[in-house]
Amino acid sequence: MIKTYEQRRRRAGLLFVAPGLILLVAILGFPIVDSLLLSLQRVQLTGGSVSQNWVGPENFQRLFADPVFWKAAVNTAYFSVMEVILVTLASLGVALLLNHPMGRSGLFRVLLIVPWAIAPVANAVLWKWILNANYGVLNAILKSLGVIEYNQVWLGTPFSALNFLLIVDVWKSVPFVALLMLAGLQRVPQSLYRAAYMDGAGPLQNFLYVTLPNMRGILAIAIILQTIWSLRVFDLVFVLTHGGPADATVILNFLAYRVTFNFLDLGYGSAIANIIFVLTFLLATIYVWLLWPRQPGGTR
Amino acid sequence: MSYARLQHGGPLRRAFVFLGLTLFVVWSAGPILWLLLTSVLQQKALIQQPPDLSLENFTLANFTAVIASAASLGRGIVNSLVVASFSTTVALAVGAPAAYALARLPVPRANGIAFLILATQMLPGIAIAIPLFIVISKLGLIDNVFSLGVVYLSFNLPIVVWILRGFFLGIPWGIEKAAAVDGAGIFATFWHVILPISWSPLVASAVFAFVEAWNEFFFALILTRQQAQTVPLVIAQFAGQYQTVFGQMMAAAVISVAPVILLAILFRNQIIRGFADGMMKG
Repeated sequence: MIKTYEQRRRRAGLLFVAPGLILLVAILGFPIVDSLLLSLQRVQLTGGSVSQNWVGPENFQRLFADPVFWKAAVNTAYFSVMEVILVTLASLGVALLLNHPMGRSGLFRVLLIVPWAIAPVANAVLWKWILNANYGVLNAILKSLGVIEYNQVWLGTPFSALNFLLIVDVWKSVPFVALLMLAGLQRVPQSLYRAAYMDGAGPLQNFLYVTLPNMRGILAIAIILQTIWSLRVFDLVFVLTHGGPADATVILNFLAYRVTFNFLDLGYGSAIANIIFVLTFLLATIYVWLLWPRQPGGTR
Repeated sequence: MSYARLQHGGPLRRAFVFLGLTLFVVWSAGPILWLLLTSVLQQKALIQQPPDLSLENFTLANFTAVIASAASLGRGIVNSLVVASFSTTVALAVGAPAAYALARLPVPRANGIAFLILATQMLPGIAIAIPLFIVISKLGLIDNVFSLGVVYLSFNLPIVVWILRGFFLGIPWGIEKAAAVDGAGIFATFWHVILPISWSPLVASAVFAFVEAWNEFFFALILTRQQAQTVPLVIAQFAGQYQTVFGQMMAAAVISVAPVILLAILFRNQIIRGFADGMMKG
């Protein structure tokens, strides 16, 4: 049978997409469904075998009555909100600097790509050394500047430990987001700036009425990605603090891991994991709705 | 004010930009330089405050010690190479045709499928890790580089599809029409016409996927024990055991990150363009 060109294209399209989709569904489909089911069960690992009993919403009831869960939720909220704000502002600042004629050197791009490529674990190990209470370089610098008098145990007190985790993660996250934003800045048509100049716009007006509106889409993407990434921070907590001191750096992701693989309470761990999933999904939906570029007609 | 003046700014703005750029360089390069510097310093230089940077304290002993003492590091590097190459190769082989079809061929609901593929990245690792751990345990495939590599496809395949789809969307239609007029079928067009002009995004997505797989820690922690341990796990263990041997700790970190950092620096322009295209054309 002779097929038209269009029919052949349609068939080729399905053939091309199928392997990838099948593979993704095979790897992710079952775990997604099973994760929901597991959260409704009591799952225990004993002597290498898995025992599963249906318990209904018991895990979720336990969860909402668990002070450690709430503590982790508060830590996560603080960590993620601060991270998204700091990373977005700092990245926008860096991107604007690098978009200035003085910042176009290729060296800066090298500087931006390296923190992205460093393994989070190696990064955590490096900062553990920088923040070391006895011999760390941060104490040395601050002492020689006269900011502190005695060596500080930066990861030793709850508030300070959580904030240092935040700083280290911001350090690692800013470069890549800045690169994205720089690419966005360079796509703003120059003709818009010329038109604004003709209308007598100054630098501030340029930024507010030309740059920002054109960056809406890329800002949305950056904020969504950063939210997702901040909710899955794990390596840093694992290496730097392991959740301590006094659970001050236990964020939801780490709690789910600890409950599952240290306390071997797989059903409860799944319940926490599902909470994280719902949270990520809700936040991403809200951001998309708020920040996605609108067409001039007001449609979306 | 001239237009050029508006772009460059007056002396005040230029001074401000210069200050900002300096701060940026110190802030991003500082920790990395400290990593490199302390990896070649002796322990006795490091436990002084401020550290003693005199020339006779520089040494490569940290590197030789780490290479000699940690057999697990060598195995980790081999495992990481296998896992990262395997998942990158499969992701490219399967992801490139899928990306092409989603960008150019009449696939029903192509945009919806593309969005769903990206949406899988919203899944918290822990949510899929628990069921995967149970299944892989039951299959007896815990501590196996290939089961880890297959799990890594769950994030590498979406990365590849997104970067490549962004590129394919921007190819002029005329190229495919010319190929069709010359009698090339769809497979031939993809293989002989599209892929050869897609070198740069192919490289970008490959490097991106390779780096992500090389650096991954969470799944490796859960799904490996000893034989299949990857580099990040070895480094984390090393840092736990020898946390006072600072120079060796840094040397181990340098060894573990050097390959992917070199790749990233070499292909930085392709990576940046590829990622930005993929994100912005969606």
